Amino acid sequence: MTITRRTFGKLVLGAGTLAPYHFIRPAVAQPKPGDELVVGIWGGAQERIVKEHVEKPLVEKFGCKVSYVLGGTPERRARAYAERGRPSFDVIYLNIFESRQAVKDGVTQAPTDAVPQAANLYDIAKIGGYGVAFNPCTVVYDKRKASKPVTSWKDIWNPEWKGRIAWPSYPGAEGTAALLMAAKIWGGDEKNIGVAFEKIKELRPFAAIQGSQDQLFQMFDQGVADLSVEFGSFTRKYAETRNPNIEIANPVEGQAVAMNVACITTGSRNQKLAEEWINLHLSEPCMLAYAREIYYSPTVKDVTLPADLRAKLLVGEDVAKLVDFDWDTVTRNQAAWSSRFNREIAG
Amino acid sequence: MGPLASRADTVSAPALRWPLRLRAPRLIGPVLAAPVTLWLLLAFAAPLSVVVLLSLQEFADPFAPLSLVPSGAQFQTIFDDSFYLRVVGETLALAAGVTALTVILGYPLALWLARMPARWRPLAFAVILVPLLTNVVVRSLGIVLLLAPDGLINQLLGFFGLPPARTMLYTHGAVALALAQVFMPFLVLALYDVLQGISPKVQEAAETLGASRTLRTLVVDLPLSLPGLRAGIVIVFLMSSTAYVSATLLGGKKVWTTGMLVWQEALQNLNGPLAAALAIVMTALSTLFAVAVFTLAKRLMPWATGRPAGAVTIPAWLARAVDIVGRPLGILLLVVSLGLLLLPLVLVCIQSFNDVPQATVAGFRAFTFKWYERVLTGGVYGDSFLVSVQLALASAAISLALAVPAAFALARRPFPGLSILAAFWMLPLSLPHVAIGVGMLRLLQIYTVVPPFLGLVAVHVVLILPFAISLLHASVGQLDRAQEEAAATLGADAVRRFVFIVLPGLAPGLTAAAIMSFLLSFGEVTVTSFLTTARMTTLPVRIYAESTFSLEPTVHAVSAILIVATVAALLVLNKMVRLDRLHAR
Repeated sequence: MTITRRTFGKLVLGAGTLAPYHFIRPAVAQPKPGDELVVGIWGGAQERIVKEHVEKPLVEKFGCKVSYVLGGTPERRARAYAERGRPSFDVIYLNIFESRQAVKDGVTQAPTDAVPQAANLYDIAKIGGYGVAFNPCTVVYDKRKASKPVTSWKDIWNPEWKGRIAWPSYPGAEGTAALLMAAKIWGGDEKNIGVAFEKIKELRPFAAIQGSQDQLFQMFDQGVADLSVEFGSFTRKYAETRNPNIEIANPVEGQAVAMNVACITTGSRNQKLAEEWINLHLSEPCMLAYAREIYYSPTVKDVTLPADLRAKLLVGEDVAKLVDFDWDTVTRNQAAWSSRFNREIAG
Repeated sequence: MGPLASRADTVSAPALRWPLRLRAPRLIGPVLAAPVTLWLLLAFAAPLSVVVLLSLQEFADPFAPLSLVPSGAQFQTIFDDSFYLRVVGETLALAAGVTALTVILGYPLALWLARMPARWRPLAFAVILVPLLTNVVVRSLGIVLLLAPDGLINQLLGFFGLPPARTMLYTHGAVALALAQVFMPFLVLALYDVLQGISPKVQEAAETLGASRTLRTLVVDLPLSLPGLRAGIVIVFLMSSTAYVSATLLGGKKVWTTGMLVWQEALQNLNGPLAAALAIVMTALSTLFAVAVFTLAKRLMPWATGRPAGAVTIPAWLARAVDIVGRPLGILLLVVSLGLLLLPLVLVCIQSFNDVPQATVAGFRAFTFKWYERVLTGGVYGDSFLVSVQLALASAAISLALAVPAAFALARRPFPGLSILAAFWMLPLSLPHVAIGVGMLRLLQIYTVVPPFLGLVAVHVVLILPFAISLLHASVGQLDRAQEEAAATLGADAVRRFVFIVLPGLAPGLTAAAIMSFLLSFGEVTVTSFLTTARMTTLPVRIYAESTFSLEPTVHAVSAILIVATVAALLVLNKMVRLDRLHAR
């Protein structure tokens, strides 16, 4: 193709109009040694794993420094919201529904392919940030107290559990999963949640309302409760190391999706480092460490799992079976539902 | 002020050379009250105003700028909703229950501590401080093991052939017991110095009049310790009315407190305005309680304001009953409260060597040193520990420096408006700490300009001040002014009197206040977790962060090390500062 003066003029014009888009990406500064990446994450095992498998290679590659702000999701989120546009964090870890809302609220960025490993993410892990671990919620119970294994969410309503259930508190990942699954199996959905509240009310009185996995394990230990809805992942660790009577069900209706999501804050001054951080988090060594230590399932498809781990995790087809929800509706109604939960279920 | 006090003033006024030669002694009070007021205006008034402003918003939008048009919508929501009203009522009832339990269990303990021979006192102090040195998770594990269906109490009941009580956990009672355990040290510290300060002469007088030891506790110690009791009651009530962590862990969501609601609305539902309004309602009610306690205490202590006190006759049957029941009852209560205090200690010792993945899991599985290894070689705990110690030392020192003049103003130099100021000084205690954190969130952009350490110190001092002032107010009130008068007539000026008479007299009270201030700052997590930065992670914030995933037994190793360090520090302290009053030696 020969370029006439006229077409050249058009090309220049075209380039001119395209230029602003061009500047969105390359404006990202390359990391310098000494740059500091601030990561907001949970403590304990999770902090240890990312320090070993993400921080180390990142620091080796860029000579940067990584600092952590440790804490729970609510505090981290409240702070990121308060700092919108001028964040003190570069990467924050959120739960599935918070992460999607945070992108809508302009607090964190939607995922892009600037993170190469994002290409291998399951579709469900590619919304509202970068999913880094599946830890779905399911029914967990003391098998000595069960007349037959739990195979369906409906088994919770089996009279043998009456008075022995520790219902998970709402809001919170487990409580949200339990509420939404109850709606789903009894003919309701996110838009028709009343069904769930009515059915859960039938289960009263509860042995207790549990507020965290640690609290639930304590209840199992002390014989306070025999059944609950919890993350299958870490409950398996607990069952293996401490209480072999606890069984993690795999209900026919599927397990309710829950996911840890890494999000880059809007306005992060270390965009490139943040992307590299997430890329390393999605790498095989880090995924395997999460799988081995706390049974969190990989969110990328290119991880080769040893056979013994494979059986305890959710991979391929299992991921497709995870039950997902309309998180917009869930987020919009959270205040109303939690107020209803406090009044009708707990208390 | 009594006739004695005013005479002391006329003697001391000409000799006053420091800090300023004040022509008008009536300015001394305001000058003494100024530093603490100034600090609170700088570091507390801003978040407080944000909380007030938030509560007057009509809508909850986390990004909207705060509207200056006040709306009562949030308060309307609360007052129209029987659930909120019920929770507020239950929280107040819970706080009252905790306070009563703390007084019943704590008073014998304070007597025990005050009468302890000097060389055993550091150990006794350490025992009382155990709950403050252990993590809330260990403490609630202790309560769980005590109250569980197969727990200690039920085993004991079974031993005596009694039917088990299977539903003690996840009730208001369980939460109240947990809160009483951790707040008891505050009440004991508030009482300790005052009980120490009771002159042996009064005791002797009562003895020569035929009062037995038990009866003297009732008619001499109890009335004279009212200032300490007043401080302790107010502190415990306000702390328990804002508590939410223990309530969450031991109430199993069957127990609701206003603090939990504030946390949920502010953080999970991002509804700052409703959270702020709830916090304000709670603050208003608990401030009313504090005022009521002060008024009542004033009426019960006519001698403190120089009013004549009517004689009270104790019927002979009551005296006899007290003699018979008093001692065994006192010993029983002492054993129960010591047991409650030491329970976490026992658990910490066992759990820190327990080879289980979660800190909350009970039952010994296998012996391991790995948690200690992780704490001592991991690096992260060491760094956080250092940050916490520096922060606590700085905050305690500044708090005491501000609280001593304030206490003198309250006890000796009242001026018009002081009671309103004093109510303002107590506000950081009655405003739920979550609300302060939410207020600080809105100010984060301003806050980040301040160097992180200074910012944390500023906030910690705010949180400590109400405690330090309450404690020192009682201590200053108990100083023997005759000694100061004697020194003044011998020609000692104000500085010399302060250094040689007042300070030694205050030493036990100052020590108690210093220990409490240090531990308050050292353990603070609610507000700090909002303000902590990447380079400033305190130990409690690190532990709290761990608990958001799953808490490992490293926290027990941390607690064990803390307890050993505290005992060592108290032993050293006891060599340097006498923890008792002059006349007790």
